Amino acid sequence: MIISRQKEFNDILQLLSEKNIFIIGCGKCAKKQRVGGEPEVLDMEKKLEASGKNITGWAVLSSACSIASWNDVLSQNPGINKSDALLVMSCGGGVSVISGFAGLQVYPALDTESLGGVCCNEIVTEQCGMCGDCTIWLYGGICPVIRCSKSLLNGPCGGAIEGKCEVDERLCAWDKIFERLKKLGKLENIENIHEPKDHMKKTRVKKT
Amino acid sequence: MSFISKLRSEKFVITAEISPPKGTDTSRMLRDAELLKGIADAVNVTDNQRAVMRMSPIAACSILQRKGFETIMHITCRDRNRLALQSELIGASALGIRNVLVMSGDHPSKGDHEGAKPVYDLDSVQLLGMIQELNRGVDLSGNKLDGGTDFYMGAVTNTELNEAGLLKLKKKIKIASFLQTQAVFDIKRFSEFIEKKSEIELKQSKQIKIIAGIIPLRSERSALFLNKVPGIRVPDDMIKQIKDAKYPEVEGMRITSDIIKELRTLCDGVHIMPVGNHEHTKKLLEMAGLI
Repeated sequence: MIISRQKEFNDILQLLSEKNIFIIGCGKCAKKQRVGGEPEVLDMEKKLEASGKNITGWAVLSSACSIASWNDVLSQNPGINKSDALLVMSCGGGVSVISGFAGLQVYPALDTESLGGVCCNEIVTEQCGMCGDCTIWLYGGICPVIRCSKSLLNGPCGGAIEGKCEVDERLCAWDKIFERLKKLGKLENIENIHEPKDHMKKTRVKKT
Repeated sequence: MSFISKLRSEKFVITAEISPPKGTDTSRMLRDAELLKGIADAVNVTDNQRAVMRMSPIAACSILQRKGFETIMHITCRDRNRLALQSELIGASALGIRNVLVMSGDHPSKGDHEGAKPVYDLDSVQLLGMIQELNRGVDLSGNKLDGGTDFYMGAVTNTELNEAGLLKLKKKIKIASFLQTQAVFDIKRFSEFIEKKSEIELKQSKQIKIIAGIIPLRSERSALFLNKVPGIRVPDDMIKQIKDAKYPEVEGMRITSDIIKELRTLCDGVHIMPVGNHEHTKKLLEMAGLI
């Protein structure tokens, strides 16, 4: 699941220089996180109208990043053709896909943060660093690229105080990696020196 | 005698920390360095320490070397990717810088450019490995260099390490030639660290030199502040001694010189990193019987 958070309403208002706005929500990740499902879209409509915008309509697509036919979206939502701009309440993936179809100004209402998931009804953030070179199994299923604030691959930095990362309140990812591997009896995974990541894999630039 | 030969000949070394200026005016840095002339075997030059932007250590080292100081250039993983790290190191070597101290580097969010992109393309262990390659005359991609480097490599460590920390220390000991520790206040804990280090040395059949970090205590307030720094622990009785003293700064010097005296038999040198400048460093080392 893509983890996103809503931008501050005033920041959204600053973006929208147009008058006639159509709002699009997303029925997948944004809905689950309560940042782009129907209740949030309706709330946004109310606030924007109160701020003097004309809302030409709204829709919550089943998935903003996966659209089979934009013509179907247009025929079901005639308000889009009467709009100057779209406000999309989805992750950057959805905003990007819709921007490719729409032929008019599209604005994001959310900031995309990380790749996470839902565990026992609890949203978990920062589960995968999307490095394009997955070695998470070496670290007991805890991704150091994203869970360690410095993406360190060979052990902790020494900046933690009482187990807390020097950056914020999060716990040191390396303590967790160590404990998990110890439990699994796989400490040998991290005893050898791990080489730097190959960022060619992330950027998907093909060697010629 | 150079820093390396002094360490190799089992002499107790003295190094001291110098901050590059925040700006182009080097006069204060040079004044601070002058206080160390004839005292320190080498001066450490920090790399945007605490993620606060300053003059590059390569420039500051070069200026100090022209004035006759041997330098230990700090290099962190925070601000440069592998291309920038290598070109910086090759440049440093060409400018006559022989010693480097490698560390991950404080996160940008702790400094004065909070929104800066944290690079960390390599971590400290990988950076040590890369320098080893440059010393062999090849770059990280295996290309042959037109003249390799000849760096003496140091790494840093806390002296109180959990299991994950120890695991990383083992990797550093595999590659580095010396370790500089976080500030030491508790001799018993430091001795325990030395024991752990010796066990690792035995397993790896490799010796590593240890330079203990020293921050002279100045007041109860500074001691309490230091206790919030990762890897530093000032014992309660030491804080009380400073608190009860009529002249806290004098008492701080006495405590610190006693620590240095005890360290002489436990490790290979001390690294003085005062809060502020080096005006008391000479006196401190005299009190400790080192000069």
